[in-house]
Amino acid sequence: MSEQLEKTYLWDPVVRVLHWALVIAFFTAFGLGKFGPDQMTLHFYAGYAVAGIVVLRVLWGIFGFYTARFSNFVKGPGKVIAYARTLPSQTPSRSYGHNPVGALFVVGVLLVLAMQVASGLFADPEDYINVGPLAQYVSSDITRKALSLHEPLSFLLLIMVLGHIGAIFWYKKRKGENLVKPMITGYADLPPGKVPGE
Amino acid sequence: MKKLLISTVIAATAATGAFAQSPSDTAKARRAFYTLVGYEMASLGAMAQGKMDYDAEAASQSAKDLMTLAGLHTADYYVPGTSNADLPGETRAKPEIWSDMAGVQEKGMAFYEAVVALNEVAGNGLDALRPAVGQLGGTCKACHDDYRAKDF
Repeated sequence: MSEQLEKTYLWDPVVRVLHWALVIAFFTAFGLGKFGPDQMTLHFYAGYAVAGIVVLRVLWGIFGFYTARFSNFVKGPGKVIAYARTLPSQTPSRSYGHNPVGALFVVGVLLVLAMQVASGLFADPEDYINVGPLAQYVSSDITRKALSLHEPLSFLLLIMVLGHIGAIFWYKKRKGENLVKPMITGYADLPPGKVPGE
Repeated sequence: MKKLLISTVIAATAATGAFAQSPSDTAKARRAFYTLVGYEMASLGAMAQGKMDYDAEAASQSAKDLMTLAGLHTADYYVPGTSNADLPGETRAKPEIWSDMAGVQEKGMAFYEAVVALNEVAGNGLDALRPAVGQLGGTCKACHDDYRAKDF
């Protein structure tokens, strides 16, 4: 059986640049937070970068290119379960954009990233040098809550990232699909008729 | 003179019985101590970050007060049985303080040295103050990271 595939434009430059910028910003912020110097200025900058990326991605998810828009890839439980059933099979997914399960990850990781950014902005470690810029506007109860959330959320994010990378490996090994290349070049090999309106 | 503020914490362990204060009193005194440290540090931090105009005299005075505080004999603020496991809601001091006294002492020494360094430069202008405050704040963080719970 030879499947007929054609080079299809999948990810626009905004999605791709934001994706790889997030990879860099997240690992920089995580690494500096965990292992970096006690004066955390660079960690703050990496966090602001993450914040900017999340905001832009959400805006692009509303106003952007077809495959970037939430309304085109976020699906209900029925479709999520139906797609999840196909995950173990060797059949390639040949999805045009995020599949319904991947959509859950996209929305989930953006939400947790937003929570992580917020917890950092409001956290006050009471060292008078690494104080979140918004901590001064809220009570110390809130700054402590923010501080206690910031580290656990970083590990949750790390687990999500590892799960994401694990899924990439699964698609490669099990389904023979390279999901990394399209995120770099923008193009994927898909069967004809996948692009709506074409 | 140059003895570290917590240098005799281990000795205090033996002297526990000598204190008539309750564990809650100890936790209260400890937090009061750090409230004072924080109070001086807050104005230094604000100056260093440009949120408050630099004032050589005020900076020097705060640095001097920190020196005084760092010179206190604080071992009796660290009586065993006063961690957040013993006194939930009253303190954020983790039991690790008492199980890793050497580590605490090392970080306390870094704090003390940063206070000494700060005192040498606090009156010499904002550019001299900033790195010294950064260094000192870093020693606050280093200890908070390992020995203080994030919340009550």
